[in-house]
Amino acid sequence: MTTATMEGTEPRRLSQVGFKAIVRALLKHKLSRVGLVIIVLLFSMAIFAPVLAPYHPNEQDLYSVLQGPTKKHWLGTDNVGRDLLSRVIYGARLSMSVGVVATAFSATIGVIVGLIAGYKGGWIDQIIMRITDTFMVIPGLVFVLVMASALGPGIKNVVIAIILFTWPGFARIIRGQVLSVRELPYVEAARASGSSGLRIMFKHLLPNSLAPVIVASALSLGAAVGIEAGAAFLGVGVQPPTASWGKALRTGYSYLERVPLFSIAPGLLITAAVLSFTLVGDGLRDALDPRLRGEGKKIK
Amino acid sequence: MGMREYITRRIIYALIILALSTVLLFGMVRLLPGDPIRAAMQQNVDLTDESIVQEVRARYGLDKPVHIQFVLWLRDFVKGDWGTSLSSGEPVWDMFLRRLPVTLLLFVGATFWAWVIGIPLGIFSALNRNSYLDASFTGISIVGISIPVFWEAILLIYALAVIIKIFPPSGYVPFFTSPWQNFMCIVLPTFVMGTQSAGSFSRYIRSSLLEVLGQDYIRTARAKGLREKAVVWKHAAKPALIPVVTVIGLSWGHLIAGSFIVEFMFAIPGLGRMGVDAVFARDFPVLQATLILVVINVLFANLLVDILYGYLDPRVRVQK
Repeated sequence: MTTATMEGTEPRRLSQVGFKAIVRALLKHKLSRVGLVIIVLLFSMAIFAPVLAPYHPNEQDLYSVLQGPTKKHWLGTDNVGRDLLSRVIYGARLSMSVGVVATAFSATIGVIVGLIAGYKGGWIDQIIMRITDTFMVIPGLVFVLVMASALGPGIKNVVIAIILFTWPGFARIIRGQVLSVRELPYVEAARASGSSGLRIMFKHLLPNSLAPVIVASALSLGAAVGIEAGAAFLGVGVQPPTASWGKALRTGYSYLERVPLFSIAPGLLITAAVLSFTLVGDGLRDALDPRLRGEGKKIK
Repeated sequence: MGMREYITRRIIYALIILALSTVLLFGMVRLLPGDPIRAAMQQNVDLTDESIVQEVRARYGLDKPVHIQFVLWLRDFVKGDWGTSLSSGEPVWDMFLRRLPVTLLLFVGATFWAWVIGIPLGIFSALNRNSYLDASFTGISIVGISIPVFWEAILLIYALAVIIKIFPPSGYVPFFTSPWQNFMCIVLPTFVMGTQSAGSFSRYIRSSLLEVLGQDYIRTARAKGLREKAVVWKHAAKPALIPVVTVIGLSWGHLIAGSFIVEFMFAIPGLGRMGVDAVFARDFPVLQATLILVVINVLFANLLVDILYGYLDPRVRVQK
């Protein structure tokens, strides 16, 4: 954005900050502390779903469909008599794993492509950057909607679509980082001492360009969860009977007047997930980017 | 680099991306499962008669190799012949013209909300930095950025259309039928569409204004005894808004994604709804046209931002 004002300050290297320091900085930042707590809760929910959920998510009780909250079903039941609370708890599994898997793949692809673009430069860089531009002019949800319906409905295809849509962001970020460290003396020294291109890329450039990738990963996790839910909501996501927040929201929307919790509860969790990743991403940016270091502390 | 050269460069660049993304989208749409012609004809044509199927395929050019299809399609598209909808038989161009004003109205409404909410929040946050007001505004902005449009829509529909019956839960009345009903129909959808932009405007304005207020010339302005109001509005506001131009432009480009969900939920007959319907009906002429429009909208917004930015901040013209 305001590149002109960035001159003279280099983004901090991950190795200089250290994992513990990052966590400490995150905990200091009030909003990202909230985010971190929500993330831990959501992941625990996903991992311990069988223990936490009072019922099996697919267990139907056709005598009690579309109920409001009762002693038996704390959040009520859905349109085929399944316990909403259990559905919502199991839904965390899907959302969290989609977020993690999609982000892991797109970050890996993006990092490798971005490293090559930044290190090689020239026409290779030009071509790679134009390809990323091309992917980036298509809004995420639109992209996922079309891709998922092209490849057929199903969660695997949604994940593929999310990966295809998010990797260019990572590629651009890491390329920018590589460009800023490529000419530094230690890289030159590595080159002079005869290191291969691959070694320079992965041993020297990569570790020193990772900080913004970590920030982007957090934000991308949130985006992936949101887009998966959006795709499920529009009907191209996961197929029944898998418990999914987006799917529940869609079905619940039809019964909004009768059982509002049916759509409001899963929506709250989607929002909490996206929100917490955004908060942590923001906190990480403050922790890793010295330019904003001061500001992060000042927000009390 | 002069302004003219800069603009020419940006336009050429936008055209390259447009060409590439057209190829990408064309390929994606052709991946759609099943033969779209068969899918469209299923209801009323005897599909066992191969000659009829072949004839219709030939009419839509589907019997030719993909790259020839692309060239032919592009030629027609540029001429304004966007094909006919497979589900309704209506020319896509006519559908587009009928739906464009609806979506534009939503865009303008969403932008209105984004400005009216986002800009004051950002300015007040910056001017009352580190206060509780600032913290709560920052919180509100982050929630605004994170909340999924469909959930926000459900909450608002539940609160303002089901419990307190102020607005209709969905539906659309054209302006010329009843301006008042038209207005009531678009309040909720535009608010939902504008929320995310409002959140990001407020955050960008806050940080940008804070950055400017820390500059030396602001200290000079204060030192020479200017009132705080004059310092903020005369000296800080304008340079602070320059980086915000980018966010405003980008958000316009991406409003279209919101319109896909919002028009779907509120049953508004705009371009987003047209796109969603086309996906499910495998109506590929409509889908293709919608996708190209989405891309053109984003590219055009980006181009405007680039040009405006180059004009406002000459430094960016030197950068690549």
